[in-house]
Amino acid sequence: MPPANQLLVGMAEIKVAKGPATFTCLGLGSCIGLVIIDEQADVCGMVHVMLPESFKDKPVDKPGKFADTGIPELIAQMEKLGASKSRMIMAYAGGAQVFKYGSDSSSRLDVGARNGEAVTKILKAMGARILASDIGGSNGRTVTVNAEDGEMRVRTVHGGEKTLCSLKRARRLAA
Amino acid sequence: MSHTITIEQIVAKTTDLPTIPAAAIKVMKETQLASSSAASVAKIIVTDQALSARVLRLANSAFYGLSRRIVDLPEAVVVLGMKSVKNLALVAGTYPWMQRPVTGYCLGPEEMWRHAFGTAVASQIIARVSGKASEDVTFTAGLLHDLGKVALSVWIENKMGAILLYAGREDISFDEAERRVLGYDHCQVGYHLATNWNLPEELCEAALHHHTPSQATSHHSIVDCVHVGDYICSAMGFGLGGDGMLYRFDESSLDRLGISTNQVDSVTDEFVEKFEEYETLFTEMAA
Repeated sequence: MPPANQLLVGMAEIKVAKGPATFTCLGLGSCIGLVIIDEQADVCGMVHVMLPESFKDKPVDKPGKFADTGIPELIAQMEKLGASKSRMIMAYAGGAQVFKYGSDSSSRLDVGARNGEAVTKILKAMGARILASDIGGSNGRTVTVNAEDGEMRVRTVHGGEKTLCSLKRARRLAA
Repeated sequence: MSHTITIEQIVAKTTDLPTIPAAAIKVMKETQLASSSAASVAKIIVTDQALSARVLRLANSAFYGLSRRIVDLPEAVVVLGMKSVKNLALVAGTYPWMQRPVTGYCLGPEEMWRHAFGTAVASQIIARVSGKASEDVTFTAGLLHDLGKVALSVWIENKMGAILLYAGREDISFDEAERRVLGYDHCQVGYHLATNWNLPEELCEAALHHHTPSQATSHHSIVDCVHVGDYICSAMGFGLGGDGMLYRFDESSLDRLGISTNQVDSVTDEFVEKFEEYETLFTEMAA
């Protein structure tokens, strides 16, 4: 069998595919890997978000870099392949934080926490169906999604690999 | 907890300790002198054939896009600038051991290098934006900040799990857990190595206090830049090992440097853009 369409989603990148494909975000620190799937249209996509918000005084060179531009752009690219927003199911992982940031809400800097908050807020404001998330903590993560079975796996250095969710099974169960 | 081995014993007993070529250290010291010139720097470089070849290769690389070929070393130093030559000498001198796996900290091949080089680039940008520290000295301090990990790696290999468990149980940072379990942390081991090499005081101070910048007794601005640069590099996931981001971030570094959160985001953006460009260039030259 030929290898599936293996897509590496680098920093600030957006990748979409119709049909069989695997998507991987390697070594996420405070960045976030967001996956969206439309099972009916057989379209899947992933964005590797670096920062929560685009700069007001600077043009956006790569929409995938920021949560506020990357999420709408990912959805738009999937719609071009026939996906429909109403059928989309989403999951995300990443947003690692330095020690003690988790309990210190007054922190100004923490990119990991701000990324997590931004992605969650944008998805909720859209009324998106969020199936699962694995954010925070202090570990780096590698996130892989197989568009064929919808399995999303998260690997950490010490925790090994775990299946975060199955984006396709959730849809079948909900139907 | 009982500590079975001292820092001195680690340095004495570890075979394959990192080293920096003598010419690279001499170049670093020479460029800090007011009396230094392209000729005096070139004179040191010619004593190291490999370094001479790299400097010429860099001067003639597409990155500088010169129309004619440079074969003369003093001219190459003029073309590149003394600060670039100094950074190149250090990068070329540290790459051979930094690109190896640091298994004690769960870092695969190239990962320590990516973290060290990334921290150097991010710290240098912070130095420029803050205007409070020398950019090229900060680059060097960033490059060498974690050298203690390289020396400590073999000693920590079977203790990593225990240190992480201890940190979780006691709710402390990784460097604090290192100190309690081993009796010292990678910062202190790095400081010991740096002082043994007679590196300039600001580089020793950055190695010692990159996780505790408010405790630095001198060269605060450089230490603060490396603290923030280390954070940015880790946040972007470059060379995150078993210790991950289990370190405290001292926000007073930002206050001392006069840097806002928005500026940190824009530095992060610039850092990621520059990293790949610099990495390709320096790796090609150092290999």
